Amino acid sequence: MKIENEDALDNFVICHKCFTLNEEIPIADGSKACCSKCGHILYRYDSKLIDHSLALSFTGLIFFILANLFPLLQIDILGTEQFITIPKTIVSLFDNGFYIVGFVCVFLIFIFPLMIFLINILLFTLLKMERGEKLTKELLILLSHITPWSMADIFFISLLVALVKLIAFGQIHIGISFWALMVFVMIDIYITKSIHLSEIWMLRKRILFNKDKN
Amino acid sequence: MIEIDEDKLIRCPVCDAVNIDKGKENTCRRCGSAIFHHRSFSTEKSWAFLITAIIAYIPANLYPMLLTSAFGIRDESTILGGVVLLWEHGSYPVAAIIFFASIIIPIMKFLILIYLLISVKYPLGKDKKVSKHKLYYITEVIGPWSMIDVFVVAILAALIHLSSVEILAGTAATAFAISVFFTLLAAHAFDETLIKENR
Repeated sequence: MKIENEDALDNFVICHKCFTLNEEIPIADGSKACCSKCGHILYRYDSKLIDHSLALSFTGLIFFILANLFPLLQIDILGTEQFITIPKTIVSLFDNGFYIVGFVCVFLIFIFPLMIFLINILLFTLLKMERGEKLTKELLILLSHITPWSMADIFFISLLVALVKLIAFGQIHIGISFWALMVFVMIDIYITKSIHLSEIWMLRKRILFNKDKN
Repeated sequence: MIEIDEDKLIRCPVCDAVNIDKGKENTCRRCGSAIFHHRSFSTEKSWAFLITAIIAYIPANLYPMLLTSAFGIRDESTILGGVVLLWEHGSYPVAAIIFFASIIIPIMKFLILIYLLISVKYPLGKDKKVSKHKLYYITEVIGPWSMIDVFVVAILAALIHLSSVEILAGTAATAFAISVFFTLLAAHAFDETLIKENR
């Protein structure tokens, strides 16, 4: 294999799943490129990636705030009503002396999901304004370290499992937060799983480095 | 023009950029982060995390996960006990989810990581029946899902605490959270470029 220089390696992608080397080719707007060996999605092309991601990040952030403000579940046991919110769940872990679990939960279901959305907003705003060469790089590195640790989606599934377990105890009412969390998780899954980080790196290169040449 | 071997190309674990494997120390040309390639201690970090996780997994299964006290009757259930209880009550899907998330997934991850860690050092699994890259990919994807049980316990404990009916998290919750945390670290510390399919 012969290449011009090291930067020409940007035209290649290595598949996440099977480590096969693929050449990157321009594809139609809205379509996706798959690995030649295992068919795993390598990258997508979206000409309005910045606008889409910004819109989704803002929506996600609004739903995240809603999900944290209102009660998640309410239960009536023996005539007493009790409800939980997401912060209350974590605080009660600390109250009961489960510091390690509480600490893990605070990061996995509160800080990291929130950070991902804030970073996305900042990142795409910077890219839209075509500036911040160094900051966008730092943000992208940070994002790639955080993404595997954000577990809002897993928390939502746990909530469904908890619901089934709770049926035995009393009357359950589902709160506003439950629906807000559901929407948030769907947006979160779309942003973290469907927008690959390499696409943002490619976009960053196109925007920030082609600007200088013109 | 430079001539390179296709096998010498590695992927940066942080930004996915394709890099040339230069031997001892590699820094990614795009994001500048170090691509792990310490020839002297390539798998030790991952081993250390993995062993910690396995040790923490033992108390996670022995100690009670959930303490239920209803009208003075205290009831303790371990992870497996909880699954059996749910199965007996007839909630088969939930029992299956918990069983998969807290028993099958952690044990599968331990076995896959042990297999991968041994196979990069010693000639093992040369018959290529299963792709090692695929195995690693699977561990990365399913790994976080074992946190389900910890979250469920957190939700139940936060929601139900009356004087008459109360649910408390048990010691196993802490042990299990630690175990999952360290398996995730072990999987991240594993150097995927060490897998050479055609060696």
